[in-house]
Amino acid sequence: MAVLGIESTAHTFGVGICDNGRILANQKRMYPIKDRGMIPVQVANFHMRNAAAVIKDALDESGLGANQIDAVGYTKGPGLGPCLSVGHMAAKLFSARYRLPLMPVNHALGHIEITKQAFKLKDPLVLYVSGGNSQVLGLVERPFRHYQVYGETFDIGIGNMIDNFARAAHLVPAWGSTVAKAAEHGRYFEMPYTVKGMDFTFTGLLTHAEKSLKSHSVKDTAYSLQETSFAMLCEAAERAMLLSKKKELMACGGVAQSKRLKEMLGMMAGDHDARFFVSPNEFNADNGAMIAVVAEKMHMSGQRYGARALTINQRYRVDTVKVTW
Amino acid sequence: MKMMGEGAEAKVYSGNFLGVEVVIKDRVRKRYRIKEIDDSLRKRRTKTEARMLYAASSNGINAPNVLLVDGTKLYIRRIKARNLHEYTNGGMVMAGAKMGHALYSAGVQCGILHNIGIAHGDFTPANMMIDGDGGLWIIDFGLAEATRSAEDKALDLLLMKRAVSKGLFARFLSGYRKSSVAHAEITRRLAEIERRGRYQTRTLG
Repeated sequence: MAVLGIESTAHTFGVGICDNGRILANQKRMYPIKDRGMIPVQVANFHMRNAAAVIKDALDESGLGANQIDAVGYTKGPGLGPCLSVGHMAAKLFSARYRLPLMPVNHALGHIEITKQAFKLKDPLVLYVSGGNSQVLGLVERPFRHYQVYGETFDIGIGNMIDNFARAAHLVPAWGSTVAKAAEHGRYFEMPYTVKGMDFTFTGLLTHAEKSLKSHSVKDTAYSLQETSFAMLCEAAERAMLLSKKKELMACGGVAQSKRLKEMLGMMAGDHDARFFVSPNEFNADNGAMIAVVAEKMHMSGQRYGARALTINQRYRVDTVKVTW
Repeated sequence: MKMMGEGAEAKVYSGNFLGVEVVIKDRVRKRYRIKEIDDSLRKRRTKTEARMLYAASSNGINAPNVLLVDGTKLYIRRIKARNLHEYTNGGMVMAGAKMGHALYSAGVQCGILHNIGIAHGDFTPANMMIDGDGGLWIIDFGLAEATRSAEDKALDLLLMKRAVSKGLFARFLSGYRKSSVAHAEITRRLAEIERRGRYQTRTLG
């Protein structure tokens, strides 16, 4: 069964194709970000201009013709409304043109399932860290089979926090790897560390870091910010791991590309005799392949969706999704 | 010193200190944190926990006495009691009236705690003990904090509500109403949190 997945939650328009979990294509185009944030409507315009070309690229890469596709998945949410709409529209048009079933996919599940599949994980504790999201998740059976949120950010996602700092520090391009580079050989000064049980907050830390730029070097501030925020995530995940007694830990989402975060999580898991897994960067950045992977699982488990479910939802929480596979 | 257990943050030992039975809670070093963050965090949290325990016990709450704070180690007096969790969720059996009384007492003490501006942060039967006379003790103030927020206090009630039966929670609430000056506001907040739905599929604590 060949399934085409379309991803468009934020700056990336991605199209992937998979066949029985095997990834045949993973193409994307990314809205160029240099030193400022995203205006959703402008990003959506970018996606509209590129949608057809990315779909064609993916089909070419897979070696399949459009008539050989059996189902289509798209990201229902969470994400930026205008961007989601473009992916939704593209998927609807494609599925109508070739009379294919359409699957509404939760974005977080995409990151989780593609990693689970790659390493054949059974029951991992998940740290999902991206621009807009930061959650500690694990599969539970009650009241229905779903990913329970053990803990999460009470305000902004870790990625947005780091990007905001990058802009305040005039780092270009304003994203995590630039901040990581700036943090090399930095020295620590004190920053607020806020973990409440398995939940955490980042805005206080961000404000503190931005203000500190007046009195400290970018290098030291970047280092302190990174060490503090990553340690907070590790601690929340550690608590959830001990509570849930899970023996596999995985990280996913854009910020899971961070070398330092991976190193810290690996140490934490090792100290509790657990194993740590993280996908290659290609699948932690937003991508269409992961949407195809989940859409295929939904389709194979017999799920079919009517017009009422085939919408977009900017705040589509992962813990509301029934895991039917 | 004998190891009693290990949590996410700390190792817990039992021992004898100047002839007194003690429990020693040692917040252990975390390799994933740089030393500067780790050291100050563990010391600060140990100090806060001691302060919360002291505030609780000096205001009449049955909380273990702090004997010594030594960097990241907290020495507290050992209580001869059984975990309430063993009765509410484990196999242990207690007479219904005694159980109801324990929950009522937990409610009264929770109310006092909130009156003096402390939210426990992990208020479940696993952090309560029943002594030989049926007295109820509150332990583990590791997540406790001084707060004015009704939300933080309502979360204590929510944790309790999810951990025990309806009947026992009703007993708990009647005790809470007896002592808490802001019980109306906080129970209203509890209803609001439950309505918000965010916590409905979540396990807290």
